[in-house]
Amino acid sequence: MATTEKPFTLSVSDTDLDLLRKKLEFARLPNELDGAGWDYGAPLADIQRLLSHWKSAYDWRKSEAEINKLPMFTRDIEVEGFGSLNIHYIHQKSDATNAIPLLFVHGWPGHFLEVRKMLPLLTAKSPDYPSFHVVALSLPGFGFSEAPRKAGFAGRQYAELLNKLMLALGYQEYVYQGGDWGHLLGVHAVTHYGHKHIKAWHSNMPICAPPTLLSYPRAYLSTLFDRAAKAGLATGLAWRRSGMGYYLEQSTKPQTLGYSLADSPVGLLAWIYEKLVGWSDQYPWTDDEVIEWISVYWFSRAGPAASLRIYYEMTGGNSHDTAEGTKWTSVPLGVSYFPGEPVHLPKSWAHTLGKVVFQSEHDKGGHFAAFEVPERLAGDMRKMYGKGGPAYGVVPGKNGYD
Amino acid sequence: MSANTERPFRVSIPDEDIKLLHKKLELARFPDELEEAGWLYGAPLADVKRLVARWKDGFDWRRSEAEINVLPQFTRDIEVEGFGTLNIHYVHQRSGVENAVPLLFIHGWPGHFLEVRKLLPLLTKGSPDHPSFHVVTFSLPGFGFSEAPQKKGFAGKQYAEVANTLMNSLGYKEYVVQGGDWGHYIAGYLATHYAHVNVKGWLTNYPVALPPKLLSTPWLYLTHVFTPYTKHVKDGMARTEEFLRKGRGYAAEQSTKPQTLGYGLADSPVGLLAWMYEKLVGWADEYPWEDDEVLEWVSIYWFSRGGPAASLRIYYEMTNCFERAAVAGVKWTSIALGCAYFPKEHGMAPRSWLCTLGRLVFESTHERGGHFAAHEQPEALTEDVRRMFGREGPAFGVVAGRSGYA
Repeated sequence: MATTEKPFTLSVSDTDLDLLRKKLEFARLPNELDGAGWDYGAPLADIQRLLSHWKSAYDWRKSEAEINKLPMFTRDIEVEGFGSLNIHYIHQKSDATNAIPLLFVHGWPGHFLEVRKMLPLLTAKSPDYPSFHVVALSLPGFGFSEAPRKAGFAGRQYAELLNKLMLALGYQEYVYQGGDWGHLLGVHAVTHYGHKHIKAWHSNMPICAPPTLLSYPRAYLSTLFDRAAKAGLATGLAWRRSGMGYYLEQSTKPQTLGYSLADSPVGLLAWIYEKLVGWSDQYPWTDDEVIEWISVYWFSRAGPAASLRIYYEMTGGNSHDTAEGTKWTSVPLGVSYFPGEPVHLPKSWAHTLGKVVFQSEHDKGGHFAAFEVPERLAGDMRKMYGKGGPAYGVVPGKNGYD
Repeated sequence: MSANTERPFRVSIPDEDIKLLHKKLELARFPDELEEAGWLYGAPLADVKRLVARWKDGFDWRRSEAEINVLPQFTRDIEVEGFGTLNIHYVHQRSGVENAVPLLFIHGWPGHFLEVRKLLPLLTKGSPDHPSFHVVTFSLPGFGFSEAPQKKGFAGKQYAEVANTLMNSLGYKEYVVQGGDWGHYIAGYLATHYAHVNVKGWLTNYPVALPPKLLSTPWLYLTHVFTPYTKHVKDGMARTEEFLRKGRGYAAEQSTKPQTLGYGLADSPVGLLAWMYEKLVGWADEYPWEDDEVLEWVSIYWFSRGGPAASLRIYYEMTNCFERAAVAGVKWTSIALGCAYFPKEHGMAPRSWLCTLGRLVFESTHERGGHFAAHEQPEALTEDVRRMFGREGPAFGVVAGRSGYA
């Protein structure tokens, strides 16, 4: 069958750039309470500064040129019941003869470029550590991939699309890495394609539903008696109380919210920036970094509103857990814990996600681990899959070395 | 209280503000939509596009303004302990009946002072058959044309202080209150802080309360446990549950990150329109909104003195960043409490729960109407007010010397 793969060059039209420029020029900002800090959301001074930078200093064409240095492609992927979606991805191969194929899946408000800093680390060849062929896609509705046109694109569909992409690239067997939606979709991917295609997976945000006494007695009991676990649980509760507003709106009324994110670059900036700072571990965001990140959403193929629908579809409009339809598998699982994540669940709970063979705890880095501390996350991949590691040689014939 | 700073007020939005709005509407960028989405994911694209087109070309804000300015509007400075002075915008319509009952009407979100509009001629009308009222309504601080508080912590006690000081400064030491949405809560705080001395009775159309607790109100608790719910209440509670699951996203965000949300609502008229329109339609009982009606409503938020972002903060302050129910600070008092139940309201507490808020002496159940009762069903709500405070009613004569009759 002929391939539909085409090289992809990012090229935002002058018209789009001009519209953005005009909107920024006519931006209307709210006021702010005295001494608000971050208590009520993104601080006004930050947004003012970023807006000013966006208007006068930031150069999208320069960002574009840098992004275009990455090996990017698009191809059509058929998803049962949803027709064909044109998917955008990075595909960077390693020089190592037996490099391990690895699929990196981003989340929200992330995007495909989160893999950027890890690419040279993961694809580097060395006798001392394993090497990977890396595939990082824009999820449907994000970045430069098409969005589904119909309702109901959920776990099964994402898993199908992800797997088909890897198969189309010639990777019958591969490993999976993700955080945020990358993790939540991973649970689905492994349910449907674990063992047969996905030989191992890794999560940097291992969250799950609480274990019950009957289903996972050890995890349940250890939570009751472990002080660290209890402290971790408190962060979960705190997040439920004051960190979940975006989640509730996106999982119930994504279209309503979508209008302001599609129409106002300042609104989109604030919505995402609050998470970039709030969920990272004191990462020293530069204004250019932030604006580039937001711009990927602003100029995304389907628009920023489309990216919100994953919350609705994966939860049935907030009527069920994202894990619905998944099951525990014995596919080897690695988990990494980063201190800047807003939610720290008890570590014993990871066992309810899969067969934990690798665990790593860091003292630096947050939700955007691949971007904030790429050497740490890449380091975990090397330890997990390298010679002597718990997942060494999971992909037959591709142990990561020459 | 301080010197009389009352000034007549006319809404008069500067030309450049209207120009900026139109410029933004011209530059509007719309999202896509899933096939056959209907209302499932939020406000439908076709509706929003149609409204934006009308807003750009057809809706006449100056005409709205002229009609609004027919109402007797004023501003005055109100001192609030710890917050300095806020310049408050209000409507004050007196009845021809000298001894009319002073009534304060309080709006909520996404409501505004104009929600009282249809009630005014009805409530101020004199007749031997029903009581008459002097009506006051104000733009809550941070809404409409009132100043917004500049400091953190402006919550129930403060809103009540503004309301009470306003009524007193208008010469109404004793008065009754009617409110829904935030108006319900603020009425409750008014009762809590000023019952008997100032507030003599209140009628809510937003039946929200916490369940009675065994230790604090044992009788009510037992009543709650052992009284079977009527179908009416069961339907209401099912609706409340549905609302909590699927309709509360806006409240969660507004109660925790109002500033973050505020940037988009301040900058994008399309965003603001969609955010509000979804509630105007979703919370009303098949009310036949006209496009211009919606646009006038949204324009008040767009052109508001504090800007749309300021109006969100009430959620954060009243719930202490979503830590507790806003109604938790309302204490039971023995002044007359009435409740008007409208079927499409999203909160529906059973009778025993409402009794934790006050001495429930009046209840009225309607077959039609939703959240915006004063706007959707002004006659029905007026009827409730008249029956509660009229000659045959349970709260007749609560305001000394002002029976409501000639």
